Amino acid sequence: MSTPAWGARLRAPLLVIVAALVAALALAACGDDNVGGGADTSTEVAAAGDVEGELTISTWPGYIDVGDSNTVAEFEDETGVKVDYVEDVNDNADFFGKLQPQLQDGRSGGRSIFVVTDWMAKQMYDLGYLQQIDHSTVPTVFENMLPSLRDPAFDPGRDFSVPWQSGMTGLMVNAELAPDVRSVNDLFDPRYKGKVTVLSEMRDTVPLVMKADGVDPNDATKQQWLDAIDKLRGAVESGQIRRITGNDYTQDMANENVVAAIGWSGDTSLIENPDVEWRMPTQGCILWSDNMVIPKGAPNTAAALAWMDFVYQPEVQADIAEYVQYVTPVEGVKQVFVDRGQTKLAENPLIFPTEQFTADCSTQPEPPGSAADRDEVVEAFQDLVRGG
Amino acid sequence: MTAAWRWLRHNALMIYAGLAVAYMLAPIAVIALFSFDQTTRGKLDYDWSGFTLEYWRDAFGEPAVNEALLTSLQLAAVSTVVSTAIGTMMALALVRHRFRGRAVSNLLIVLPMATPEIVIGAALLSMFLIYGIALGFTTLFIAHVMFSISFVVIVVRSRLIGFDRSLEEAAADLGARPLTAFRTITLPLIAPAVVAAALLAFALSIDDFVISNFNSGTTETFPLYIFGVSLRGIPVQVNVLATLLFAAAVAGIAAVLLQQRRGEMIAAVRPEREPALYQEA
Amino acid sequence: MGGWRRRIAPYGLLGPGAIWLALFFVVPMYFMGEMALRSGSLESGGFAMTWQWSNFADAVTGYETQVLRSFLYAGAATVLALAIAYPLAYAIALRAGRWKLLLLFAVVAPFFTTYLIRTIAWKTILADSSPAVDILQFLQVVPPDGRVLATGGAVVAGLTYNFLPFMILPIYASLERMDVRLIEAAKDLYASSAKAFWRVTLPISAPGVVAGVLLTFIPAVGDYVNALLLGGAGQAMVGNVIQSLYLQQRDYPEAAALSFLMMAAILVVVVVYLRLAGTGAFMGDEDEEARA
Repeated sequence: MSTPAWGARLRAPLLVIVAALVAALALAACGDDNVGGGADTSTEVAAAGDVEGELTISTWPGYIDVGDSNTVAEFEDETGVKVDYVEDVNDNADFFGKLQPQLQDGRSGGRSIFVVTDWMAKQMYDLGYLQQIDHSTVPTVFENMLPSLRDPAFDPGRDFSVPWQSGMTGLMVNAELAPDVRSVNDLFDPRYKGKVTVLSEMRDTVPLVMKADGVDPNDATKQQWLDAIDKLRGAVESGQIRRITGNDYTQDMANENVVAAIGWSGDTSLIENPDVEWRMPTQGCILWSDNMVIPKGAPNTAAALAWMDFVYQPEVQADIAEYVQYVTPVEGVKQVFVDRGQTKLAENPLIFPTEQFTADCSTQPEPPGSAADRDEVVEAFQDLVRGG
Repeated sequence: MTAAWRWLRHNALMIYAGLAVAYMLAPIAVIALFSFDQTTRGKLDYDWSGFTLEYWRDAFGEPAVNEALLTSLQLAAVSTVVSTAIGTMMALALVRHRFRGRAVSNLLIVLPMATPEIVIGAALLSMFLIYGIALGFTTLFIAHVMFSISFVVIVVRSRLIGFDRSLEEAAADLGARPLTAFRTITLPLIAPAVVAAALLAFALSIDDFVISNFNSGTTETFPLYIFGVSLRGIPVQVNVLATLLFAAAVAGIAAVLLQQRRGEMIAAVRPEREPALYQEA
Repeated sequence: MGGWRRRIAPYGLLGPGAIWLALFFVVPMYFMGEMALRSGSLESGGFAMTWQWSNFADAVTGYETQVLRSFLYAGAATVLALAIAYPLAYAIALRAGRWKLLLLFAVVAPFFTTYLIRTIAWKTILADSSPAVDILQFLQVVPPDGRVLATGGAVVAGLTYNFLPFMILPIYASLERMDVRLIEAAKDLYASSAKAFWRVTLPISAPGVVAGVLLTFIPAVGDYVNALLLGGAGQAMVGNVIQSLYLQQRDYPEAAALSFLMMAAILVVVVVYLRLAGTGAFMGDEDEEARA
């Protein structure tokens, strides 16, 4: 480039850029100094009222019945509410990350209901992003909710969350190719090297590993969490664990790329491979719920409350349970299946687990200690997931 | 040396080209094939389980897919129009005029192409976060225009260089106002390049995942939707629509190519040296 | 045309685009740097400006494995892409005859199916028990009990595939402009085709190769989709880290610091490479325009 007048040529556009920067900085200086953070933490209660208008729900894919029974259409017919049922929750952290900037400003992205897992609901609530739910505005919910779900540690008395479905995290096994996998420890069996996956959901994977080694995850120390993460790290480095995945482990199971995995109880209904089954680990499973919550700034909370009440009718819930095959949070569903003559469903332990079946299971734990301690554990696990 | 061997040697390069192209198209063939696969609705299935037209008949039967595709088409349409207009103007300025700051302008145009998408996405998100701007269609639009501009400029500029200005000068001599000269002479001549640039901008926009993922908020474009469901189970309709989209693009390009050939003949202004599309990119 | 109008015109034409790029490319880059100097957390009330230079040090020490891996994978993918692309571009530009348009079209075609869907399709093609893997095992490319998916090889293969058109097109463009008579003349001079290729064809296509290498390498370094979909537990690239820090863990400052450093590293690699390649092709050749 023969450009003697480089300096002169630079000037004009540089001015544009500098001007833009100055303008941007001036604007930024006017704004809030902090990026991110909590919203106004004052208590807000979801208002009841006339049920009409539109309702937007954000939830996980494949989490409701489609086709003939179609709960969404039924609700629309009955109430006249137009439902926008958005399946855009693929991962708690991902979903939260996308919405957080809006939630912080007290907006909900137009959504009136999110469906998120216990710990995520708690985190949102603690940041002041959620409304409380007055039990009198959802009578059916609190008439029919299973007693075992009424008083969870993360939300005693259910002030801000209503279970959508519950589930168990345990072993997803290809019975043909890995018949002997019964304990989480069997995932570390060299016979299955490179044919095993675990979940990127820390609160599922790490506690299961601890349980397999005889540690009660709800009583575990930080060091025990870190030890379990180290054990996983060893298995990743040796090539024993093939991938650390989200929902997509189901693809590897369907393809038979993977013969055993840590997986969620309802996912067998997704996998079109007759050999794949969910197994209760010999040392017990992890129990959790995905909950409906109402964010602050949600439009039409009346319709949101009406939706919650609607899906807690045993007849309606039976349609959902039949399709998704997770643990139903509603009492009386079993009777509906019996009345309909669907005995196989009525006896399915993955939909109606007996107390005996889940005797050794633990509720999904949080790492113990201060915020810094928790961060250390989360960081260690994330490091593993990111392949560092 | 046998005749067969000689033939092989002579055509080795073309045989290789055939194989390479087959490799490039293999995934598309798989996508098209699986759009005819018999799968239980809502189930994961990666084996061939039999031929069916069910999902083609019901191509638009999955509302979430349609909505995402529609969002993507709208986004691609508006960002293509804006980026093509802005980019063409920039190309005109850069080729037609000598002015201070051309070097920096060139740099400004090339830099976004030399920046990985994830950095662009992250940088935009940083800015939107600091300003507290709500993420959504608008932020997507801003981002898509931004990363398309450079490509538009490059494509149009390559056509403008080597462009014979004597026609325009003749028009001016004949008393045509600059705008008239531009409309009647310049625009028709550069039209093929502008169309090609628009096509490229459209393709870039509709295929973008990384930058969109950072700046979409809760707006879901087609690639974002695909990414979401790929973690679960992809509705067969996705394969159908992807195949349709591909077919539409094939038809579109074919039409443009034919048009361009005709345009070239009509123009009969053969640039001496036509630096092609990616010369400086 | 009036003198002042003539002087103003280029700025009017340039203005909207320059402002758009300044506001939505340059300014965001600035803010990414600014973000990298903040500290705090979501729970403690957000990220405040504290001139936290240590974020950069943390980014280097915390993620050097992934950074090195990214450059390694992207480098390997670029070399592979060049090896695949050059003969193909050559064939299309100089040998294809009436097939030219069709071949060129086949090269561009993949652009028109979402690249995510294509990558997912590769996942199906390369499943452990698929015919493709059986063939690779038979050819001993993959060990008998080996696999393709969830390996570094799969990530490199995915990167190679996805960015191949970016390699082919510039090489094709530079070869296409070549005067075929040159080769004939060279053959007369040097007698051997290999020598003619080495002395004439290759130098002519050099700018295309340089551009192609950059257009492949840069997006490949920053990619995270291939590592996510085709890779396994130990194959995460720097893009995966940035994505996860920004969108999942919401540690914006560290994510910004890492992005910033990656950008800097890429710029260094690009500048060194262009020096070695000894060409200004990438920066827009001013002289050529001046002559036009």
